[in-house]
Amino acid sequence: MLTFIIRRLLIVIPMLLVISFLVYLGLELTPGDAVSHMIDPEAASQMSPAQFEALREALGLNKSFLERYATWVYNMLHGDFGRSLSGGVPISEIFLDRLPATLELSFLALLFSTVIGCSLGTISALKRGTATDSSLTVIGMLGVSIPEFFFGLVSILIFALHLRWLPVGGRLMPGYETFLDRAPHIILPALVLSLMMTAGVMRYSRAAMLDSLSREFIRTARSKGLPEWRINFVHGFRVALTPVVVLIGFRLPTLIGGSVIIEEVFQWPGIGSEFIGAVRGADYPLVMMIALFSVFAVLMASLIVDVLTAIIDPRVRLS
Amino acid sequence: MANSALNRKFDRIRALEEAGELKPLTGSRALRKMMNNRLAMVGVVIFLIILLSAIFAPLLTAHSPTKIDLRSMLQSPSGEHWFGTDKTGRDVFARVLYGGRVSILVGLGSALLAALIGVGVGCYTGYKGGILDVIALRVSEIFMSFPQIILVLLLVSIAGQSLANLIVIFVLTGWGGMYRLARARMLSLREEEYVQALRSFGISTPMICYKHILPNALGPIMVNITLTTAMFILAEAGLSFLGLGVPLNIPTWGNILNVAKDLRVLQNNWWMWLPVGMVISLFVLSVNFIGDGLRDSTDPSQQG
Repeated sequence: MLTFIIRRLLIVIPMLLVISFLVYLGLELTPGDAVSHMIDPEAASQMSPAQFEALREALGLNKSFLERYATWVYNMLHGDFGRSLSGGVPISEIFLDRLPATLELSFLALLFSTVIGCSLGTISALKRGTATDSSLTVIGMLGVSIPEFFFGLVSILIFALHLRWLPVGGRLMPGYETFLDRAPHIILPALVLSLMMTAGVMRYSRAAMLDSLSREFIRTARSKGLPEWRINFVHGFRVALTPVVVLIGFRLPTLIGGSVIIEEVFQWPGIGSEFIGAVRGADYPLVMMIALFSVFAVLMASLIVDVLTAIIDPRVRLS
Repeated sequence: MANSALNRKFDRIRALEEAGELKPLTGSRALRKMMNNRLAMVGVVIFLIILLSAIFAPLLTAHSPTKIDLRSMLQSPSGEHWFGTDKTGRDVFARVLYGGRVSILVGLGSALLAALIGVGVGCYTGYKGGILDVIALRVSEIFMSFPQIILVLLLVSIAGQSLANLIVIFVLTGWGGMYRLARARMLSLREEEYVQALRSFGISTPMICYKHILPNALGPIMVNITLTTAMFILAEAGLSFLGLGVPLNIPTWGNILNVAKDLRVLQNNWWMWLPVGMVISLFVLSVNFIGDGLRDSTDPSQQG
């Protein structure tokens, strides 16, 4: 097992290094120079070229490109991600500030999509070939066809503006401290975010369930005279569940991508809306760091999925 | 009983057969299967209706999609303006039709270009193997380890907003999937005996890959092109909705939806965003139906 993890890490680490190198290259090529962002224009206009040069030297900007890259990576490993261009806030602080909101939203969306997707997929598989099955298939197709932000807009119109059951957006209100107080804010964005993934999970769990129902142990269970519900839900579902649970990790890129737009629609103060703000404001360091961070998250998720699969299915380890 | 219904159907077929009325089947088997797939045919019809009405937009509406008419601002749908007018008096129906041209061009065009590059590279390197294959594989891995929308936004922030940039960015982010698919097919097809025979005749490598092997891998590639088209149309709509896709002066489906960010518009002027959102959904749905039908008719192992 350990050798398997090490082997996987040997693939992931060079990958991260290459991507971080490209990101750093991008940072260097984008307009603007670290010095001009660090001092305010008033002071800069009164500085002589010699003073500029001294400052550049002190900041290590005159070193070779590779040396600067090495310093940058070293700093990152020590928690220094550089500064955002707007206001010079340390990027690590922005992460700490915004990440909880995004994690909260993603986790709930993951939960919704898994529960709803698995149950609909199972129903679809148990009733295969019937009208229920085909209408669920069509609904699933609709789920991946409606732009999620459009779905978000319609749900805002219905549940927030007309029925006034739920708030339009945002996350925190003054005086509302606990998660339960904030719960109404998260329901709509989490449901909308889970929509696209639900359809995928449904499709996958339907196929997994059909596969598991055609196995021989199901016939054995039936021949033992077990009640039908027990065969389906205890024997069949358990085997079908394994690949579906593993699929969660692969949904992470979709989740990150989806949350970018959904956070903007619902004014959810997470990493996604921060990212869009940074793209709009041409805040390159922040854009690059969030992108790098998302790659890191995706690679780590796929690593975890690989390890999980290897634990569940020993055949994977050997190949 | 489903069983007896099936029996009756077969009895009917046998009766036809004995009467000599059944002709031997001609034409492509995949095409016939596709024609019998009801959802896929519904998809083709919706797809054609939306595509043709976008192409022949000038015949369907007399209004211009960009002409500002301050005397008819914010009108609700009427006989004159089918989908009403927007804040500057532009006809929304005309904007949806003309916007469809750009949105479909971006979606379909990017998907086809991405397929051209991905399949072109994947076919050759997958067949040849060696160092070229390793390099192409690593490069595609780098592109694919970014969540798609993050990479698109990153590139938009560097390259700036324009229609051409958006297509290039979509192609850059979309070729990886096509490449992987083509390469995987090539790896299994290149071991076939007919390929060995071709090689022993001394036929050149590009000829073998592109003329003799590629046609056998076309089924899954076509399926992937349709699914990628759907993905790009959704991505364009999302980006333009954020105001980061196609520049706002060009009407596209996403740019029309952009106004719905304003809550007052969302609540009071439904005609400005609801119809276009439904058109996008219908179009993407039809493309997905077609893709699913193609998959069922070209790949028997995927049927469930």
